[in-house]
Amino acid sequence: MVSLARKNLLHDRLRFVITVAGVAFAVTLVLVQVGLFLGLLGKATVTIENSSADIWVTSRETPNVDFAHSFPETTVLRVRGVAGVERADNAIVQFMNIMLPSGAEEGCLVYGLEDFSSWNLPWDVESGDPTELRRGDFILMDRSAERRFGPFAVGEYREILGHRFKIIGATRQAASFTTAPVVFMDFRRAQGLQQTVHNKTSYILVKVAPGHDKAQVAARIRAVTPYNDVYTREEWAARSRNYWVVSTGLGMNMGITVFLGILVGIVVVAQTLYTSAVEHVKEFGTVKAIGGSNWDIYKILGEQALIAAVVGYTIGAAMSFGMRPLLAQLHLNVLVSPQFAATVFAGTVLMCLGAAMLSFKRVAGIDPALVFRA
Amino acid sequence: MNAMLACCDRDAERERDATSLREVLAVEDVRKTFVEGSQKVEVLRGVSLAVDQGEVVALEGPSGSGKTTLLSIMGCILTPSAGRIRVAGREVSGDESALRDVRKRSIGFVFQQYNLFPALTAQENVEYALNVKGVRGRGAAAEAARVLELVGLGDRKRFLPRDLSGGQKQRVAIARALAGAPEVLLADEPTANLDTAVGTQILELFQKLAKDENKGLVIVTHDPKVRNVADRVVGIRDGRLSNPQEH
Ligand SMILES: Nc1ncnc2c1ncn2[C@@H]1O[C@H](COP(=O)(O)OP(=O)(O)O)[C@@H](O)[C@H]1O
Ligand SMILES: [Mg+2]
Repeated sequence: MVSLARKNLLHDRLRFVITVAGVAFAVTLVLVQVGLFLGLLGKATVTIENSSADIWVTSRETPNVDFAHSFPETTVLRVRGVAGVERADNAIVQFMNIMLPSGAEEGCLVYGLEDFSSWNLPWDVESGDPTELRRGDFILMDRSAERRFGPFAVGEYREILGHRFKIIGATRQAASFTTAPVVFMDFRRAQGLQQTVHNKTSYILVKVAPGHDKAQVAARIRAVTPYNDVYTREEWAARSRNYWVVSTGLGMNMGITVFLGILVGIVVVAQTLYTSAVEHVKEFGTVKAIGGSNWDIYKILGEQALIAAVVGYTIGAAMSFGMRPLLAQLHLNVLVSPQFAATVFAGTVLMCLGAAMLSFKRVAGIDPALVFRA
Repeated sequence: MNAMLACCDRDAERERDATSLREVLAVEDVRKTFVEGSQKVEVLRGVSLAVDQGEVVALEGPSGSGKTTLLSIMGCILTPSAGRIRVAGREVSGDESALRDVRKRSIGFVFQQYNLFPALTAQENVEYALNVKGVRGRGAAAEAARVLELVGLGDRKRFLPRDLSGGQKQRVAIARALAGAPEVLLADEPTANLDTAVGTQILELFQKLAKDENKGLVIVTHDPKVRNVADRVVGIRDGRLSNPQEH
């Protein structure tokens, strides 16, 4: 089969380059912007997703994991009595002020548990032992803190709410969406630091016994904790994520970026394909004169759109991939899952085919009789 | 044995063709009126013409006399306002897909402007036309090569139109028209863009192909040289055929 579509693309090389550049631009914009957004959003749920808690009990209307309110710590006793609960523990998540060596005061997000190892928190430990935390005024600090707090070394001391703590180790990956660095300390010490959490807790982490349905256990917990909200891990992650997507307008912002990317792509592709169709009117007339149908010509435009989509996507994806180290230096993480990449590819193909269809009416109207005209 | 049978079948077919299927194209009392705004232009006022297998008919007439219009109707690109058309023995109905089918199967066009696909080589130009006509793959490549040999371009198959002379381009166009074995070839002023010597060669090629390949051929032209190759010269004036001369 001779592909007039492909040969014509290569013949009008400049136009093809412009088309592909338009597609690549749109693809890069969407991949990088949405990838950055997803990378950022990952921080909103990273502790939920890494801890082994199947169910989170929160105070009423807690919007996301970073913004916890407190409730009586004895609630946990009721939760422990629910059928299907293997284990339930209190957990404090609380913003506290930390004094830096420079004298500056900064905020950090303290995670306080009695038995960290039972909850897989922290999950990426560079040095130090979380089980040691309960033995003294000790903390583990996440490496990401260095960006805000400056470098720190194990063995140094930091003052949190006027209390001196020794850094006994460092963790990685623990982050909050608010960018406040995460610090791990013993539950009782965290409770003692701040009046608002005396005898209180921020969350109850629940592990469901094997063979029990998470949703059913959550419903049972709900029945015994009328003043709390109860979420499965997935529900809680979704709620935390949605809070940032909606309340910050980030979601809308993303929507606009994706829309603009698609718009630019469609306009460029539609425009170049349309001018190409107009310039090749005589050729299409000839195709019709020798017995070709409108469908034969639609296939030419469709194939060209498809080629532009595939080449443009490949270049766009390569550019997005190439930008990752650069963005990583700016501490920006571009998160592109295979599903998301596939979705963008499908979207690119649809976008290009849709743009090609805008020329269909024009070529359908071509009169083969024009082949006899000069 | 099979080969012999096939060969005899073909002979039998040829014999039948030679007797009963002489006529490959006929228009009867064809009229065409163009409506432009409130004005009606009667371009063809009852034209009848029949073309036989292997026959070369020249159609002559002043500019604007309706030559191209008649050729378009014979080639099923345009529908007449009245009258009947028969191609390869079959009455042609007016609906677009039927017309397209006739163009696909039975008609080969050659234009003054060549109308080659500029991005395709000579070989690809012919092969692509075959693809459109439903011939694909190796068969199309072989048939394209064959017709390019026939027009004397065996050594120019890989050339793009821009690297060919006017005469060579017209040869590619003729090869493309021949491809797919249509019964009828229709050429609209095929030598108008060529110099005299080249024009003569093209006309002689047309004549030879019509005879060798047994096509019915209509050539629209002002070119007086056409009289050397035509079996019949038909004049057209004000939408009517005039002084149909036998050669
Ligand atoms: N599509 C059309 N609409 C209106 N008038 C047309 C159209 N095609 C041809 N004509 C008119 O018909 C007449 C004959 O045209 P044409 O067949 O092209 O003549 P020729 O090929 O002999 O020069 C001309 O006057 C031309 O203007
Ligand atoms: Mg004309």
